[in-house]
Amino acid sequence: MDFSQNLSMEEAFALAEAEAKLNAALQAASQRFNDAKIPDRYNEDWRFGQPAKHAVALAEILKTNVPARGSISVKCADSEVVMPVSAEDDELKETVNLMPTIGSDALLGLHIRRFGEGICLMLEENTEIKQPIIITYETDGLYTPYTFIMAAPGAKARIEEHHKCADGATMFCVRNIHVMEGAQIAVELHEHGSIDSRCMNITDIHNLGGAVQHFTSHAGHAWAREETIAEVYAASPGTSIELYSANRISGNSVLDQHTHQIHHIGGAKSNLLYKNVVDENGTAIFAGNIRVEAGAHCTDAYQTNRNLLLSEKSTVHSLPGLEILADKVRCSHGSASSPVDEEALFYLTSRGVSRANAQELISTGFLEDAYNKFRKSFDETYTSGLPD
Amino acid sequence: MDESTFQIDTRGEFSFPENHKFDAGFGLTEATIDYICDAKGEPDWLREFRKDALRKFNAMPMPTHWAPEGIKDLDFEKIRYYLAHGTAPYKDWEEVPDDVKRTFERLGVPEQERAFLAGVDAQYDSETAYNNMQEELRKKGVIFVNSTEGLKEYEHIFRPWFGKVIPVTDNKFSALNHAAFSGGSFIYVPKGVKLEQPLQAYFRINSESMGQFERTLIIADEGAELMYMEGCTAPKYDSATLHSGVVELVALKGAKIQYVTVQNWATNVYNLVIQRGLAMEDAEIRWIDCNIGSGLTMKYPAVVLKGRRARGEVVSISLAHDGQLQDTGARMIHAAPETSSNIVAKSISIGKGRASYRGEVNVLKGMNGCRNNTECDALLISAESRTDTYPAISVNGNASAVQHEASVSQVDEEMLFYLQQRGLTRAQAMSLAVNGFINDLVKEFPMEYSVELRRLIDLEMEDSIG
Repeated sequence: MDFSQNLSMEEAFALAEAEAKLNAALQAASQRFNDAKIPDRYNEDWRFGQPAKHAVALAEILKTNVPARGSISVKCADSEVVMPVSAEDDELKETVNLMPTIGSDALLGLHIRRFGEGICLMLEENTEIKQPIIITYETDGLYTPYTFIMAAPGAKARIEEHHKCADGATMFCVRNIHVMEGAQIAVELHEHGSIDSRCMNITDIHNLGGAVQHFTSHAGHAWAREETIAEVYAASPGTSIELYSANRISGNSVLDQHTHQIHHIGGAKSNLLYKNVVDENGTAIFAGNIRVEAGAHCTDAYQTNRNLLLSEKSTVHSLPGLEILADKVRCSHGSASSPVDEEALFYLTSRGVSRANAQELISTGFLEDAYNKFRKSFDETYTSGLPD
Repeated sequence: MDESTFQIDTRGEFSFPENHKFDAGFGLTEATIDYICDAKGEPDWLREFRKDALRKFNAMPMPTHWAPEGIKDLDFEKIRYYLAHGTAPYKDWEEVPDDVKRTFERLGVPEQERAFLAGVDAQYDSETAYNNMQEELRKKGVIFVNSTEGLKEYEHIFRPWFGKVIPVTDNKFSALNHAAFSGGSFIYVPKGVKLEQPLQAYFRINSESMGQFERTLIIADEGAELMYMEGCTAPKYDSATLHSGVVELVALKGAKIQYVTVQNWATNVYNLVIQRGLAMEDAEIRWIDCNIGSGLTMKYPAVVLKGRRARGEVVSISLAHDGQLQDTGARMIHAAPETSSNIVAKSISIGKGRASYRGEVNVLKGMNGCRNNTECDALLISAESRTDTYPAISVNGNASAVQHEASVSQVDEEMLFYLQQRGLTRAQAMSLAVNGFINDLVKEFPMEYSVELRRLIDLEMEDSIG
């Protein structure tokens, strides 16, 4: 598109400047991938994550020219909203190029080399889609899809994403969620793994004045890593980001979750609740960070990580972090890890429930709490709407 | 309180002419180590030990992957590693040189009070300038000497524990200290002896680019109890100085050790201190830590809970002013069942200051019935100040419970308004609020320290808001 003929001098300069800025950013991005090292033990964002084992294994398989083996299915009441990702879509590719990661630039670089699979959801201004949009990615080999969700001002929708891996399969998904002013978006991501399957997700949530609720759940993968970067760039009343996760980890599974809540601008709210039930030989890692940038005054940001340990071989690593550079901020984080409360177990067993069932009941309730809070929060904003 | 007890220059902007009998020059090489060993008349095994540590120091990388950025500016070549007045510690107050006495006076520690204090071991630069042990302590069999003397006279007690709690290869700065250490205290409290009076040592750095590598080892034998107090001020200089001490505590069965530090180096000092205690069965170790000075502090007092029912605690206050980074925290390693630990950390960031909490809690595999509680609170005084929290909590197994909580807050404008309404200046009101914020922790310090601390905070507030 060429608008140059209709532009005033100032506008032309501004456009040229913006273009130069973008080019510089893209150059920096490609330099970033060239410079990035496959995560190793000196990569603090992979602390406890055994990068020598897991990051290297993922990089190895991405470097091979194994063709993508996967399928996509989408259920949406409004078919105009949905578009497949095309390898030729340079604009979209640029968006991925500029995406932040949490210590995995090198892996994102390898993902971009395989760019061209996935789904775009473009929610038009003030549209409302009542039925949930359901995206399903399935693979029995290696699959590297990309999900792009753009919610224009005032758009409302609920999106469910399902990732299904067959035995030994690997899914590495990169996701971008852009939410404009007044938009209300709820996204659920459900990971369904199986024997020896692996998955990794890098999710970047750009909030420009809307409300986002994000929920993830993991079950069955041998190894899973999740990097979720939630950023607030513009705030209007009601601007918020909520991150929830509920996971069950058993066998020898490892779940490595990383989150950043970044407030570039003040006046917004973010909240996080990540819950894990860890059984058998399972390992759960949670590393979260709230960053309130200089000048982002009047921010509310909270972060909670709760873990239930069910077996004597289960392991939890929790690293809740805060970086506060602004004033008039209300911030807190909490992390607690413990076994199932003996008193609660006693109560149930004394009423005839077996110990194993009682433990199961309590764990299920423990995890459901996170999902219920996600749904409740969504239902409330969805029905009441954002304040003016 | 009498004003005369507070004559501490909080900003440390004073110094005295340097006059040293021994000076090993800049940089650390094998020749430097030979110089230190010759000056101190150390045995060959120690010379070899130091040289081995130097090789390990040179081989190890800087911890740049996790440490604060400021550490990159540290230039080991620009540090002087050994300076001393002489090797024989002064036993009598009269023999202490006048300029050293003047420093003590400036610190607000008059001679009479000094004599009154139990077993003072005051350190002036690398060697102990004053080492006068009270007769009572000697009668109880307590050993309280500097580390050089400890290694010479009490090798049979010192050497088996030397580098056992903090091994040479623990990290780069541990290796550095093992190579270049001088000064510090060696304390041994025999079985069942409970000391009522705290033991104290004052540290001073008074030579430009002078690194202090003090080494302290405290052993509390079964059932023994003691409190050790360490306080620091340092004059302000242009080029950076390095303070990289190692403090090892050993609390044997049922023993209790409390280690109190008030650190107030000048802002050009790198304060990289490794403090770690080993708590055996039923033993208790408490670190009470206050960081006010230095440009960059990296200090994470640790307790390795090695025996059943051992208890560890860290109480930490840090105050970060313009140009300061206080990277402090705590480490608790639960290496035995039924151990418990508690961490309470409060930080205050003023102006462009940055205070960070960095902690580690680790419940090892098979250690059942362990408990940890961590609380970190941060107070931000101005719009430009910064605070961070970086905890790492690892739990293995389903029979231990850990919890961590942190919060960040500001001084309530309404509260300040209320106080100003009643005639207080803004600085006074702020000082009151800040003192209130850390009040419950200040109470943990011995009386004279808590009084000093409150006074220091008043002064800091006057400086920043006044």
